Amino acid sequence: MASTTAETGSLKLVSVLDLNEASVLHGQLTNMRGKDLSIDASGVERVGVQCVQVLMAAANAWEEDKKKFVFDKVSDAFGKSMQLIGINIDHLLAKEIQQ
Amino acid sequence: MDMNEIKEIFFQECEEQLAELESGLLKLNDGDRDPETVNAVFRAVHSIKGGAGAFGLDDLVSFAHVFETTLDCVRSNKLEPTQDVLKVMLKSADVLADLVAASRDGGSVEEGRTRGLVKELEALARGELPSGGAAAETPKAAPAKAAPKAAPAPAAPPVAAAPPPTDDSGFQPIPFTFDGFGEEEQTIEPSTFEVIFKPRRELYAKGNEAALLLRDLSRVGTMSINCDTDQLPPFDKMDPEEAYFTWKIQVKTDKGEQDIRTVFEFAEWDCDLDVKVAESSEEELPMVPVPFDLSVLDDGSDASGEDQDASDESAANDAAAAVAAAETASNVSKMAAAAARADKKESQAAAAAAAAANAANAANASAGQTIRVDLDRVDRLINLVGELVINQAMLSQSVIENDTTGTSSINMGLEELQQLTREIQDSVMAIRAQPVKPVFQRMSRIVREVADMVGKSIRLVTEGENTEVDKTVIDKLAEPLTHMIRNAVDHGIESPEKREAAGKNPEGTVRLTAKHRSGRIVIELVDDGAGINREKVRQKAIDNDLIPADANLSDEEIDNLIFMPGFSTADKISDISGRGVGMDVVKRSIQALGGRISISSRPGQGSTFTMSLPLTLAVLDGMVVTVAGQTLVVPLTAIVETLQPEASSIHSFGANQRLISIRNSFCPLVDVGRILNFRSMQANPVEGVALLVESEGGGQRALMVDAIQGQRQVVIKSLEANYTHVPGIAAATILGDGRVALILDVDAVVSASRGQSLRQEGGMKSDMSLAATG
Repeated sequence: MASTTAETGSLKLVSVLDLNEASVLHGQLTNMRGKDLSIDASGVERVGVQCVQVLMAAANAWEEDKKKFVFDKVSDAFGKSMQLIGINIDHLLAKEIQQ
Repeated sequence: MDMNEIKEIFFQECEEQLAELESGLLKLNDGDRDPETVNAVFRAVHSIKGGAGAFGLDDLVSFAHVFETTLDCVRSNKLEPTQDVLKVMLKSADVLADLVAASRDGGSVEEGRTRGLVKELEALARGELPSGGAAAETPKAAPAKAAPKAAPAPAAPPVAAAPPPTDDSGFQPIPFTFDGFGEEEQTIEPSTFEVIFKPRRELYAKGNEAALLLRDLSRVGTMSINCDTDQLPPFDKMDPEEAYFTWKIQVKTDKGEQDIRTVFEFAEWDCDLDVKVAESSEEELPMVPVPFDLSVLDDGSDASGEDQDASDESAANDAAAAVAAAETASNVSKMAAAAARADKKESQAAAAAAAAANAANAANASAGQTIRVDLDRVDRLINLVGELVINQAMLSQSVIENDTTGTSSINMGLEELQQLTREIQDSVMAIRAQPVKPVFQRMSRIVREVADMVGKSIRLVTEGENTEVDKTVIDKLAEPLTHMIRNAVDHGIESPEKREAAGKNPEGTVRLTAKHRSGRIVIELVDDGAGINREKVRQKAIDNDLIPADANLSDEEIDNLIFMPGFSTADKISDISGRGVGMDVVKRSIQALGGRISISSRPGQGSTFTMSLPLTLAVLDGMVVTVAGQTLVVPLTAIVETLQPEASSIHSFGANQRLISIRNSFCPLVDVGRILNFRSMQANPVEGVALLVESEGGGQRALMVDAIQGQRQVVIKSLEANYTHVPGIAAATILGDGRVALILDVDAVVSASRGQSLRQEGGMKSDMSLAATG
């Protein structure tokens, strides 16, 4: 689910980000390219490596575009999955939720 | 898709894996040392174990595990696949097949046999080579605890030939030493392993998930991880379904390397994996410690609370089992994963299943694989194409009747339609065509088992296993072929002593070949045994009142006596063969399939059985004839020749019998119209045509018909399904003019001509009616 304003966009991630979702997620993010983006991962129950790959490639792209790419909210499952996979997203977390 | 369907698919895959296993073992037995053959054999057992584990088939898993361990020794060149070793492995493949069958159909497998083979396999894995079956009895050594690095097990000390003496009370002291006792008890210090894990695209395409593997790995010990994202391309150039990440992982554990490898065992073909004990000198990478409590990621506990219903327990169990399957077996996992997702949330079910199916289809398409189709659907298609052929023929006939010049464009178009229809029919029939390989492979087990029982050494050589024939024919071929193989092993091949005395290789050979010839499949069974003992066969036939004592028979006729009902030369009736119904039943089965069987034998050199079968039972090449104004179809396979009788060649015999003399021999003349009650009086043979057919007993009959219309391929239609059984008629077909023509059951008509009532026959009815669906 994605919503955008002129300059910023927000994306709420679905609960299961498995291999079937990787292409869908890639398509959603492609449509939001060029905008600041805040992502809501609070509903994520399971995330697979292919979706993480898409998110990390997107984070790099947004950084190159000098646009904001921030996780506003993350579920415990999402945070632990990232840690399990060995991906540090601390620098992508919104300040309010940074530990 | 529910768990039962997934399980059914698992068993179907097991059949394929078992065929692959046996085929690979036989190749190894023939001296093939290609590592890929060994790998294929290993993979087959490994896949069966994986799927069986997901469904909790413990007996199957534990046997497959032992088998797989021994195969791994062969794979890693620790065990040479000698003939003796392969003998154990082929037997193990048989037991594995039995365990699969028992898991699928219920029932059990003889425990003693399984246990004996487990011991033999374990002995092989320990490097103890089989020697006259001693290995099976070798006491099982206490299994060493998994060492961090698997090292080849040292060869066990030789087992004392004589058992230790028993004392008065019957107590048998067991030699016991404390050697290595300390090592057994010694606790293993935690070691740190370094794992490099790089999944390939296929890993994901097959429904596996690297995150789940990492989660399972974290449970082996304390884990730190470094994810190498260097291969990740720019966002707009990436393929979301590609695998870009590589992990370097450190696991501190008191378990062994094998426990780490076990985590990846169902994905190891689709990833690069390196596991080794970490060396402190290696460069340090920034490692992220993985949180020990990952329960939030576990399936079943990660569903959001609001829609988690306690009554969903069974669904959750199904989901958990499906996820287990998803993490294990290859193809099964794809569907199990989809099923797991489908169980979890109704709303996600369709999308998840469809997406998984798409992913699976994409993977399949790229690999050029096959699809499974329900046989009923294929049969329905075949039936519809049969209707199409008939309709096309009827349409053509109408056009021809109304287009006297035969030059209209419609007529020409119809010719193209006819060609196209024929091509469609051939293509559809090809869907049902299957290679004879599975049946041939079953025979190799029979040869092994029967040869073991009778103490002979016999090698089965198969050729042309990929020759294709209709599935119905294949299904019905197994039984007669089994009988013939048993006969060949039990009676055909001599004992090793006799063979040696005759200057032959003590190991006998049975050769089973299949090939296409003139639109039929020809299967030959050749043995290099003693050949048919014609004197013994002849005497037996006389003793059983099958032939008169003074009968003058050619060698070929004597050979063919073995196909007579109740004939058996076995002096002792055994479980293997010689029950007096063997070759008679074989011949009936082959004939029921529209086939023929013949034998040729050379004393001292062996026998050859040749079977010629139609490629399909859905269409038939027939001779269209007229009898008392009715149109009948006589299967071409039954007809030896056709002839126009002359008055001088017809002879009366008894009250109603007539004979026709053909090349200095007499053959009973059978009026088909009279036998089928189409007319009350016998027709004049001189005004008709005689079709010389071969009957069950090997003798011939001349079937009298009024006229021959021509030869035609007809679509077989079941009379039973559409009308009712008609004595003397095997099935029906619809001709181009729309009329129904009956297909003659030649054997029934011949039996009736011998005085047996048509109404009482039925034991030997052609299988045409069974094959036809419409």
